[in-house]
Amino acid sequence: MNDSQHLSSQFDDDLSRLRTHVLQMGGLVETQVSAAIEAYETGEIASVKTIVETDRKVNELEKAIDDDCAHIIAKRQPTASDLRLILGISKIVTDLERAGDEAKKIAKSVRRIYENGHLPSQYGVGIRHLADAALVMVRQSLDAFARLDAELANSVIRADSAVDAEFKSIFRQLITHMMEDPRTITTSIEIVTIARAIERIGDHAKNISEQVVFIVEGRDVRHTKEKVQ
Amino acid sequence: MSSQLVRGIFLALISAVIAFPVGHFFVEWAGWTIFCCGLGLQMLFHFRNFARLDQWSKAPVVDSSLEGEGAWDGIFGRLYRHEKDLRAQIASRDDQIARLFAAIQALTDGVVTLDLHNQIVYCNSTAETQLGLVLRTDRGQPIVNLVRQPEFVAYLDTGDFTRPLTLRSERGEDRVLSIYVLPYAGTRRLLQIKDVTQSDRLDSMRRDFVANVSHELRTPLTVLSGFLETLQEYDVEREERTRYLSMMAEQSSRMESIVQDLLTLSSIESAPPPENDPVDMVNLLDKLRRDAEGLSAGRHTIVVETDGQGDLSGSEPELVSAFGNLVANAVRYTPTGGTVRISWKASAKGAEFAVQDTGIGIDAKHIPRLTERFYRVDRGRSRDAGGTGLGLAIVKHSLNRHQAQLEIKSTLGVGSRFAVHFPANRVLGI
Repeated sequence: MNDSQHLSSQFDDDLSRLRTHVLQMGGLVETQVSAAIEAYETGEIASVKTIVETDRKVNELEKAIDDDCAHIIAKRQPTASDLRLILGISKIVTDLERAGDEAKKIAKSVRRIYENGHLPSQYGVGIRHLADAALVMVRQSLDAFARLDAELANSVIRADSAVDAEFKSIFRQLITHMMEDPRTITTSIEIVTIARAIERIGDHAKNISEQVVFIVEGRDVRHTKEKVQ
Repeated sequence: MSSQLVRGIFLALISAVIAFPVGHFFVEWAGWTIFCCGLGLQMLFHFRNFARLDQWSKAPVVDSSLEGEGAWDGIFGRLYRHEKDLRAQIASRDDQIARLFAAIQALTDGVVTLDLHNQIVYCNSTAETQLGLVLRTDRGQPIVNLVRQPEFVAYLDTGDFTRPLTLRSERGEDRVLSIYVLPYAGTRRLLQIKDVTQSDRLDSMRRDFVANVSHELRTPLTVLSGFLETLQEYDVEREERTRYLSMMAEQSSRMESIVQDLLTLSSIESAPPPENDPVDMVNLLDKLRRDAEGLSAGRHTIVVETDGQGDLSGSEPELVSAFGNLVANAVRYTPTGGTVRISWKASAKGAEFAVQDTGIGIDAKHIPRLTERFYRVDRGRSRDAGGTGLGLAIVKHSLNRHQAQLEIKSTLGVGSRFAVHFPANRVLGI
């Protein structure tokens, strides 16, 4: 929490409510992602429908939070750290919403795979492992935002390259599968879509962490090579 | 107090008595000067003590530095004692509070206290690990900022806490938490978090068990009733009829062995502790080897490794059946040409019976569930091998009754090792 108090405690309340809303949205997205992965593992297509429906709620939250940000800027003319917080939040919600979309994408791919009567587990690729790593990234980026912990945010940024590397290895493995047995191409492509979506979720977590660093330290660490000391 | 007043007046009188003759017989101003000096000295005395009190009250320390003179001594003494008592009280309260917190820390249930706005006031270390909190940094943080699962947020919002919330923890390993919200001190809230992973697993095991028993019995029953129908409705040839009957007999004996195993399991569960008869291990190992060779029919190499030291105390039939089961499994799941190694080693610290094979191995993810009833790694295969799915469950129960631990190590495609560790008090002759 910001230790500094504003003259208007109403302003403080507004800011803390905004943060809580962002984190609620984050919690929803976390659940969406893990539900989508769960569906991939268990093949329970029924949950796909719930995931697609819940995504609408994520979208609504994004709109509501953006609206709140605009209101606060107009009403309070925030400066310095408050301004950074609000600018950061408006970018974080965009990334959260995209991550939610990726979860929906995963769910839909899962439905296609199982409807075609295939079992993704036969392909034996490390989707679960990749997904766990991405989920941890999302969780930690949100934790870093809740605690305004730039150090944790930096570690999330560093973790992204591991997820990228893992995605590439899954991709190569699936290419081998497809070359060996062309009948697996349809399902393999769906699995690639899923792996790609998970990798994108990791990217969004990284973006969120970059915004956290911006909020806390005022440094813009996007697109810089030496972003992490 | 009044004695102090008398003393003050007395001192003033003395200075007056000295001043009066001087003023009367010599010069008048000299008399007044002496009188004023007398009063002034008294004032100085009081001021000095006052200055001490002033100094001390700025930073009250409980040592002997607060000493007054005359009338002030009593006051200082009382102040000093008051301060000291206060400090002792505070120290003992601090101690009590610290002990209370230590007690909360020691709870195996997670405890989180929240203020009016659901902000974290305090949590113990169990709750820290359960929910991924860090008290040092998260004090004052709304709990929903860190425990973000929508179910939890919705539960806190409803304000209806008659039923606990069951939450699957996403932090760390897969744990199932049951969260109670208890109001305390007016409108404050206390979260009590129980780890119900174990009982949750037991519940699902019980559900699975009933489903499994029905399923296992229904399969042979379907075969039986199918053949019965055929035999009733059609005129089948004698040869065909014999074949049907032998298949029916096979299925009914299968059902019988399942029922037999279930009865064994339930009788082991409800039976009194096993007797402590001495069990001759050399004999037992020999019997195991002969049984294994019989079952293997020359397809495997059976090796017994023992120095013949040490015997067991326990129920012989139970141990024979448990060990026999392990050996039979090893033979069944080892391809032709493999080796089954039975070993027995006893020392003063305890004993180990182990069966090692060069069989197909078990995937690590199946190992923890292997001793569950009807748990099968590969459904088709184990039924072909003639198992009822209850063997290892029975083994585990019999061994538990002998305070023995079953340890399973396995590598897919390389082989498995089932080791039974007996505590020292079950080992004889060492």
